[in-house]
Amino acid sequence: MAADYALEVQGLSKAYRVYGGPMRRIVEAVTFGKKKGHHEFWALKDVSFNLKPGGALGLCGANGAGKSTLLKILAGTTAPTKGRFRMGGKVASLLELGAGFHLDFTGRANIFMNGIMMGFSRREIEAKLDEIIDFAELGEYIDEPVRTYSSGMGLRLGFSVAVSVDPDVLIIDEVFAVGDMYFQKKCIDRIYDFRQRGKTILFCSHSLYDIRQLCDEAIWLDHGDCKALGDSVEVTNEYTAFQRGHIHESAAEEMLGEYPSAADGRDPRKLPSIVDARIYRMGTDEEAYEVQTGDSIELRVWWRNPEPDKNPIHIGMGFLRQDTTTCAGTGTHFDGVQPQGESGCTVLRLPNLALLSGQFLVPILLLDKEGVHKYQEYLLPENLVVRTHTREVGLVRVEHEWLHADHPLPDRGSPAEPAGSVAGEGAQP
Amino acid sequence: MDVETSATGGQPSPAPPSGGVAGAADGGWVTARPPQMLEVLQRIVCFPALCVEHRDLIRTSVRRELQARFTGTALGWFWPLLQPLLLFAVYYFIFTKLLGFKFGDALPEEQKSAFGIFMFVGVVMWASVAESLQRGCNVIVENGNLIKKLAFPSEVLPLNVVLVSLVTMLFAIGMFIVGTFTPVWITPGPMLLWLPLLVLIQGVFTLGLTLFLSALQVFLRDTLQVVTVVVTVWMFVTPLFWAPEVVGDPIEPYMGLVRANPMYHLVYAYRAVLMSSEPAFIFNESFGASVAIFSVWALVAFALGYGFFILCQRRFADEV
Repeated sequence: MAADYALEVQGLSKAYRVYGGPMRRIVEAVTFGKKKGHHEFWALKDVSFNLKPGGALGLCGANGAGKSTLLKILAGTTAPTKGRFRMGGKVASLLELGAGFHLDFTGRANIFMNGIMMGFSRREIEAKLDEIIDFAELGEYIDEPVRTYSSGMGLRLGFSVAVSVDPDVLIIDEVFAVGDMYFQKKCIDRIYDFRQRGKTILFCSHSLYDIRQLCDEAIWLDHGDCKALGDSVEVTNEYTAFQRGHIHESAAEEMLGEYPSAADGRDPRKLPSIVDARIYRMGTDEEAYEVQTGDSIELRVWWRNPEPDKNPIHIGMGFLRQDTTTCAGTGTHFDGVQPQGESGCTVLRLPNLALLSGQFLVPILLLDKEGVHKYQEYLLPENLVVRTHTREVGLVRVEHEWLHADHPLPDRGSPAEPAGSVAGEGAQP
Repeated sequence: MDVETSATGGQPSPAPPSGGVAGAADGGWVTARPPQMLEVLQRIVCFPALCVEHRDLIRTSVRRELQARFTGTALGWFWPLLQPLLLFAVYYFIFTKLLGFKFGDALPEEQKSAFGIFMFVGVVMWASVAESLQRGCNVIVENGNLIKKLAFPSEVLPLNVVLVSLVTMLFAIGMFIVGTFTPVWITPGPMLLWLPLLVLIQGVFTLGLTLFLSALQVFLRDTLQVVTVVVTVWMFVTPLFWAPEVVGDPIEPYMGLVRANPMYHLVYAYRAVLMSSEPAFIFNESFGASVAIFSVWALVAFALGYGFFILCQRRFADEV
């Protein structure tokens, strides 16, 4: 019976009613719901999880996935349609910074107003007033109307009121994504501090980095469904893999549209072409499209070239992210390798894959001797999905090593580059 | 944050739930179950407790509202005093001096010329009620952002509107009482001690209607339009600018209807309190009966209005 969990959520669902018009609503009310005038939109479907005291749970998902709905229900601003939840302590929510600020009043007056709206007594706020003003770094502006504040100042004020609350469970919607780097750092530090003190955090962000750093566990919501729940690194990996694949179809269509290139009137059958291309685990015949960072893979390209003397060819390839950023790419012409003969299989070996988690389109280019004209652009039938089991961020892993060192501080007067003296804990994946 | 929170140890959270939308708490669970009849009744009865619990919020928002109305104006806090004073002067001048409306035999000799003042009392009271209803209608919709983003008892918003209108009215009544020290009108007697009771029951009545209308407006945006018309009609039906005793015989067949109007009783009670130490001098009503009848109206309006509000409350955030 005792609260083993800071938060228990069971089968939580939320439906919004969408009415065709005001008359439909009246008809429905008059007939006591017998004549239904609305249809339901399920923003959240059967979400369940438990969170231990001191745990931190991250929410990720695309816009409209139900993240905010879930947070709103838990914050108590809206009621669930199905299911139930229970909090094991005092909860504070930060759904929007500075909600309810009155622009004509001073920062100080708004601190009181905002704090009281959040359920504090005047006395509690008075006790924390100095701390709040201090954190917001507003200085003498605290007695100026909020209208005169820059947006950053308003955000700082809103955040500092909210974090002074000191609840057992803190619910944060993506509120500090808007501030500058300095402000974000302050907020994150404050939230870290919160965790250190064993408080429970529920956190929604589009920054998967923040989720990985702040949370042990994460939920990935998609159209109201809970797609994945578990370790934050794994869940965010799955989410990125999915997210990057999302654009695949449209990108693929665009690329295939360029093929075949027979515009110069020559017989297309005489032109070089790619027959097939696949990715294998290096040295095996096992096809692999789901790999981990650090795996060794190879790309095999089968091609035909009826007139090798007339049309010498080169083969290029690349890893493209969803937004068509080329993350890496190479070609036989870069490395001075010439595919010979009328047909063949060219293999590209990629030991110790450096790509970090994501889903990548792999286009293969069949190019002319100079590497300028594209005979064909061939897209691998499946995307390459890479998963990462470390917390590294970015597109690729860089070779690295952490050291403790005693290098003397470089002489400021000298024009030499400052020597990198790195201190930190040894961490080598 | 007033979501039902079971304190450490998992005890059932103490009833009544003090705020937020989730009306039903079982062993700390917030469920999808809509509030049951018993919980609604409990919350209606416990409304004063909610006011006490959130007194800081109520006090601050009423003050903020009043300040927002007058900060930035050159005369500032003189406005709420100046407005009724000007109104008072206009009524006195037009109705008493220019038009010379008389009460006939209904008034003692020295008060006969005071039709303007008679109207003023009614108008001040009515202005407060009308302001509550019209502004209160939109208060939930207007504050949609607060309701979506902060968990606080949303009944505070209509309460806020009603309290602000009452405070404005008290300013006017204060100026009226100051005005009675001039030779224009005789000073009110010990009946004035009833004033706080009248303000209270007026507040309860208005709050009931405002809670109902503000909740209805969320779902049906036509409410405000209807209210505007109804308030105007209601104003003329209520004897603000006339008195049954002055109209005489033609009103006689309709007196049943006139008495069915709760505002008839309130306006009578106000006049009895503010205009003379002699209660029954204008209407053929007893002061005690009027107050009693209106009190019943007030409690019924509050219970029904708040009950409706509680049932709708959990859907506010989805609709505004």
